[in-house]
Amino acid sequence: MQAITITLDGREVSGYLGMTILELAKESGVEIPTLCHDNHLTPTGACRVCLVENEQNGALLASCVTPIASEMVINTHSPRVTESRKTIVKLMLTSHPDSCLVCDKGNRCQLRQIASDLGIGLVELQRIPRMTSTEEVNPFLERDLSKCILCAKCIRACQELVVEGAIDYFQRGFTTIPATLDNLPLENSECTFCGTCVALCPTGALMEKDRTYGGTTKSTTETTCPFCGCGCSICLEVKDSKVVRVIPGKEDPVNHGTLCVRGSYGCDFVNSPDRLTKPLVKRNDTFEEVSWQEALEQVAAGFKRVKDEQGSGSLAVLGSSKCTNEDNYVLQRFARTVLGTNNIDNGGRLYNSASRVGLRSSLGFSGTTNYLSDMEQSEVILVIGADPNSSAPAVGYAIKRAVKQRGVKLLLIDPRQTGLSLFAHLWLRPEIGTDAALLNGLAKVIIDEGLLDEEFVARRTDNFEAFKESLRSYTLEYVEKITGVTGQEILALARLYAKASQAAIVYGTGITQHTTGTDSVGALANLALLTGNIGRKGGGIYALQRENNGQGACDMGTLPKFLPGYQSVADAQARGRFEKCWGASLPAEAGLTTLEIMEQAEKEKIKGMYIMGENPVLSFPNSRLVTEILTSLDFLVVQDMFLTATARLANVVLPAASFAEKEGTFTNFEGRISKVRKAIEPLGESLPDWEIIVRLADKMGYPLPFSSLRDVTSEIEKLVPSYEDYTDSEKQDELAYGETGRTYDRQFLKGFARFSPIEYVPQVGQRKSDYPFTLLTGTTLYHFGTGNRSSRACRLRKFSPQSFVEICESDARKLAVTDGEEVKVVSAVGEVTTMVKISDTLRKGMLFMPFSFPETPVNALFDIVLNPETKEPSLKACSVRIEKIPVPLGERL
Amino acid sequence: MNKAKKITKADLAQMNAIVSEYSQQKWALIPLLQQIQREFGYIPPQSMLLIARGLGLFTSQVQGVISFYTQLYTQPRGRNVVRVCRGTACHVRGGKTILKLVKQHLRIEEGETSPDLEYTLETVACIGVCALAPNLVVGDHVHGHMNPKKVEQLFRNREVRE
Repeated sequence: MQAITITLDGREVSGYLGMTILELAKESGVEIPTLCHDNHLTPTGACRVCLVENEQNGALLASCVTPIASEMVINTHSPRVTESRKTIVKLMLTSHPDSCLVCDKGNRCQLRQIASDLGIGLVELQRIPRMTSTEEVNPFLERDLSKCILCAKCIRACQELVVEGAIDYFQRGFTTIPATLDNLPLENSECTFCGTCVALCPTGALMEKDRTYGGTTKSTTETTCPFCGCGCSICLEVKDSKVVRVIPGKEDPVNHGTLCVRGSYGCDFVNSPDRLTKPLVKRNDTFEEVSWQEALEQVAAGFKRVKDEQGSGSLAVLGSSKCTNEDNYVLQRFARTVLGTNNIDNGGRLYNSASRVGLRSSLGFSGTTNYLSDMEQSEVILVIGADPNSSAPAVGYAIKRAVKQRGVKLLLIDPRQTGLSLFAHLWLRPEIGTDAALLNGLAKVIIDEGLLDEEFVARRTDNFEAFKESLRSYTLEYVEKITGVTGQEILALARLYAKASQAAIVYGTGITQHTTGTDSVGALANLALLTGNIGRKGGGIYALQRENNGQGACDMGTLPKFLPGYQSVADAQARGRFEKCWGASLPAEAGLTTLEIMEQAEKEKIKGMYIMGENPVLSFPNSRLVTEILTSLDFLVVQDMFLTATARLANVVLPAASFAEKEGTFTNFEGRISKVRKAIEPLGESLPDWEIIVRLADKMGYPLPFSSLRDVTSEIEKLVPSYEDYTDSEKQDELAYGETGRTYDRQFLKGFARFSPIEYVPQVGQRKSDYPFTLLTGTTLYHFGTGNRSSRACRLRKFSPQSFVEICESDARKLAVTDGEEVKVVSAVGEVTTMVKISDTLRKGMLFMPFSFPETPVNALFDIVLNPETKEPSLKACSVRIEKIPVPLGERL
Repeated sequence: MNKAKKITKADLAQMNAIVSEYSQQKWALIPLLQQIQREFGYIPPQSMLLIARGLGLFTSQVQGVISFYTQLYTQPRGRNVVRVCRGTACHVRGGKTILKLVKQHLRIEEGETSPDLEYTLETVACIGVCALAPNLVVGDHVHGHMNPKKVEQLFRNREVRE
């Protein structure tokens, strides 16, 4: 690239074509003040504070939007520049209120900083106050537009980064403000309260509203968000051991300066008064606080007793897809060496095992194949069975950016209308649970029309003929009949997907949580293989993870069949390696998966259980049965931050530290390993999960050789493939940004990718006349998981306090239920009471319920129906009916 | 054409037809808004969503552009637009009183349109004929040397009718 040399403040510096003066100055160590500039946003030159002088022609230029030109002579701090800058800032101050003393933005206010840097004392100009008032009832953010300097950072953040477009400039001249449509309060607009604009606002115009803890930040810690699988980088601002604020992190390869409402306003669960601060032991059906010493002795004695009486096989352990890699690693080593059982699994089983198994058998690689940033090179993105706007917002933003800014065609397959529907080029609404048939139909069209990548299929895959043969019956008419999607639409989608030179696939729990999840994942992999979209930048398959460390927990071997790094427990050689390092013999037969553990516990084969950071009572299907089973155990230990519905059933509850109180790593859905750093000391006597396990192992007489986290990470680096040097952040960056990682070089781990013939099987539990509705479950943006943490985040709870069931208008009319009415949702195994919400996102016969409200355990409606291959329970759709709640006689009058 | 009425299905169809001429062409926003305004006399708020979707913009962006230009309106306008000058020359010659009288006669405030859509009242900074101050403009016609009597003459039929 051609170098361009300019003179900057009397010094010759070079940059490249297209670079702005501001960028070059920054690179050369010259600081130019800015108010409207941010690296993630398109420069607009709105504030004019960054102006510099071109000595040759005397022009004053806004350096953020002026590209460098050969032989420019630029002064950034000449008297004229400084004088002009001062005038500009003074003009801003004339219409800015003098409330700095009490303004919560305080020293973070960039306007005030720049004014003081420029030495502006008294503003001698006549004041022109901006009179605006906006009333907000939302608990998240507050706008005081009298402090707005119209830098448009919020507008650009909303339109360019989050692609929601809730606000834009409104009116002109002195009356201009950033406003929503009709200048309504934010809660009446498209705003999702992601908080991105609040973090960017240079003044106090946009502020957090209901702050859980006041005061000025004393320290900040860069760490990783504990909610969804995106793994966004966040900054925790801390005062007096309390998290006072969360803003987007600076090292953010995933989120690019954005966050979602959960990341921005959901982390105050850390300081919830409900946190457990002391170990609890149950005596006579009530919990008593005890010392760690006593609690651990009880736990050690309890497990020893069960192990001695009934053998290792009667013990089971649940790891957590929310805890760090290190926690999970130590836990599985504990289970395998101290307890001597492979009965270990993690909560990820509930949503990601179909991906793991499906992708592994096709691609030989069990996870997302590309990094999110590659999506920028896609021509077409196919999103199926996922609502990333709610379940993985950073992915949602990336998709919307691709569509809006680069004209990428979004192909959406979803029976329900989601936030992406408006952005879709083509949107197919198949019948629930017919994905496999639809995908087979697409594959057949691609083959029949000769749209496949023949070279790729011939050289990189096998089993093509058998696959082709298996598609024979999936004619357009047949697929049309099953899925309810017209042949025209199927043809159109197949052609768009196959003809694109790079096409990515994104899928989520709408695929994996059906009983036929593995099949659908296999069918998706077939599509990608047919078109050569594996091992290609801009192509690939993105398997969304519901939770922050769903990928990591599996990588770490909290799985019944696999040692860390997916090394089979049945493989003597692999086992040998671990046995040598761990100095203990390992059980060779595969253990039980989560739901099998429950089944065996029901049959009294499993007598003791150790649960770390999972809440099976709410997250597993058939809550009632799960509760019964857990109650019947001889010995149950739960390690959690809160006294969850599961913890209440335990004999001993051990208080765990939150993500803000420990060190470690999370692995996000892309496989990117991000650091978790300690921002505050563990609350009360709580301890990081791995440390509890190490102490427990000590008590049981099998000490684990981990005296610090460093010991754990170095053992992981030594033993787990693809985690070599994972704590070395420079190496990680190389992996993340270089093209050598993953499957880019078109090399598969197994050498060849394999087509898997998939047969469409109608879902178990089809609609019956007693249960005429199909209920879908999913995530809502304002809550998370089983709601254990998000329901303790005050602002999230305030904004979205109650569970609801969405129903379409015509069905509501037929049932004579009205918006906001309480109804019973009844399935064959359970019932819950919730509130009706009429919604145009659904079609007739469909209902939607979020699962994150602990008071309304949606999973109680599901029977335990397992995916035959992965033993993943079906938690996506079930048949239900709606019952009106009769009004008691007295109230009718 | 200017009659304030509820937006009917036919109107929506017409809006859609106009929008579809410019499908996904962001540059066309202003000519499209002008065309809608020509057809309906103003830009019905209902059309904003259609325009935004049709052109691939955010609704807030469409609103931003409409609110920026004085030539675009989101409210129906009167058949006669009355602009009273409040420039310096008109001001010293009693323009303020003229405005007050016009308001009384038309029974609307500045920026408002009479319910029968006959008049819209606005003010203007200067129309460039200060020699005739105080001025007011009705439609395209300038009325100079205004005084209470002339105001009454101009809007007399208005009062008779009411």
